[in-house]
Amino acid sequence: MLELLDSRGKGVELELYGAYYPPIYTGVKALDVEGLLRGLERVDGLSVFYHVFHPIFSSHIIPDDVHNDFAFWIRDELGDSTLAHLVSDVPGEEPRTVEDVRRDLIKILSGASEELRQRKAKRPFSFLTCVPVVYPIDVKLSTLGQLLDQVAMMPARALVYHFVFRRVMGYSKTNDFSQWLTENFGLDEVSIKLSKIDPQTYTDEERMREDVLNVLRGELLK
Amino acid sequence: MIEKYAEFVGEESLDSLFRIAQKLHGISVLHVNSTKEGGGVAEILNKMVPLMRELGLNVEWKVIRGDGEFFRVTKSFHNSLQGQSTWLPQGAFETYDKWQTINASELNTDYDVVFVHDPQPAGLINFKRRGRWIWRCHIDISSPYPPTWEFLKRRIEKYDAAIISVPIFGREDLSVPQFVVPPSIDPLSIKNRKIHSVTAERVLRKFGLDTDRPIITQISRFDYAKDPVGVIRTYKMLKRHVDVQLAYVGSPASDDPEGEEVYRKTVAEAGDDSDIHLLMLPPNSDLEINAFQSGSDVVMQKSVREGFGLTVSEALWKGKAVIGGNTGGIPLQVVNNVTGYLVNTPEEAAHYALYLLRWRQVAERLGANGREHVRQNFLLPRHIRDYLMVMTYVLGVR
Repeated sequence: MLELLDSRGKGVELELYGAYYPPIYTGVKALDVEGLLRGLERVDGLSVFYHVFHPIFSSHIIPDDVHNDFAFWIRDELGDSTLAHLVSDVPGEEPRTVEDVRRDLIKILSGASEELRQRKAKRPFSFLTCVPVVYPIDVKLSTLGQLLDQVAMMPARALVYHFVFRRVMGYSKTNDFSQWLTENFGLDEVSIKLSKIDPQTYTDEERMREDVLNVLRGELLK
Repeated sequence: MIEKYAEFVGEESLDSLFRIAQKLHGISVLHVNSTKEGGGVAEILNKMVPLMRELGLNVEWKVIRGDGEFFRVTKSFHNSLQGQSTWLPQGAFETYDKWQTINASELNTDYDVVFVHDPQPAGLINFKRRGRWIWRCHIDISSPYPPTWEFLKRRIEKYDAAIISVPIFGREDLSVPQFVVPPSIDPLSIKNRKIHSVTAERVLRKFGLDTDRPIITQISRFDYAKDPVGVIRTYKMLKRHVDVQLAYVGSPASDDPEGEEVYRKTVAEAGDDSDIHLLMLPPNSDLEINAFQSGSDVVMQKSVREGFGLTVSEALWKGKAVIGGNTGGIPLQVVNNVTGYLVNTPEEAAHYALYLLRWRQVAERLGANGREHVRQNFLLPRHIRDYLMVMTYVLGVR
């Protein structure tokens, strides 16, 4: 694989962007499991993204031991760790989108015990959605070597945009790196290995970067 | 100037700020509020306006005027919107509207984007000629007195967007988009800069505190929402266990006529205890505030209602664990047992203050977490970036 590092494949470049996701209140609040279920059925996909995948950023305020806002609220406001852990560990790996995650969450919450469904939270869960603000970072990738270098050093905002956001929102079937590896270089095996990383289970973007980088290093530097 | 923030937030964060600002290059922006000094809004605007200019936006800041009657009315609005009172002066709505008309005739609001801060100038929207208008709400409007809210809501509905500080303040009965943007502190300001322990000691001693004994401090206006009487009760419970001193440090604000009355009640509660220091510092006593936060053993913000409570971030930034009221924006800053403790009563506050005084290593750990938490979330560059993003939204800039 080392000999391919400077290859340009079919000559398709991958242009990199960063993104922020300013939150907007949806007008939906929940005080119990029923409310959470109704909210999940109502809100848009960007809201599911915001509460489930945006906590990958360490700036998103949740403790490290639960992976998304719903789990944090269920544990701290409803006081149920068991349900919180189930919700926290909902799978988010490829090819799943926010809609798959939404379905899973609804299924898990629908299975909550009668006693828990009666319970009221101390503070409501406020559903937020977001309006992505995307900006170019003036980097274009042409070679595998550049991909390796850039995954190591690109802004976390770009890494999450290309590795998580576009795929979970359904703009692409796989993350942008896997897609580029397959389409421009025919490297299906590397692509599949990258796709197995589940971004929903991270609460720190740098840990995810390490894991993405380890896959690429292990495959491309053979 | 803006490059100086790289030390705190990193190059990447600043780079994204410039890139998002590029989308808005050259637009004209006006901020309107009701006071040049005192309170968090003026403090933020003092810092933010020059930095926004540096980013290539044409930014102005204007302050509305009003007489004593108007500010009594707006204070009653403030209290009733925060659910603290149902009292409004006779003819409150007429007084409010009269001053909106006067201010609209005196202020040029011909800008591409107009940020109107809080309820005091919110009625200016009725005189809008052009541009996109954003209502920036710094207070808790989650459970307001309905007549006040209905009056205000009719005006807010005319805005292109609203900004709230905390998700929980979101209103289901507002049709305008409500962005969630917490406020911020400026790490370069005199108030938040690192100062030497000798400076902190000098200031504390100047105000009569003994730096060889523990000090608990609350920095806030003399306002019922900040529960100064509850703070004194907390101190009295704590005093049974530890020879502690209390500093309650406030400052007058030109748009708050109620401060004097609350101050008198607080003095009465304090009695003649010489270890209670109730201080009314002049506006811009930034070094003194810094010294009190840096030199205290425990910092409290025991509010019962709170828009956000920037003094919490100020204290966390100085590596102090904070005991905060479980209200408004405080839980965003005080993550329980991570950066401090959330409390609902003076008893709880006294309990955790005692714990932090006894277990200094716990206080240090929470304080270190707190500083990092503020670095990530509550510093000025993040705040500016959020405003830029709201502007891109209302202007339809891609």
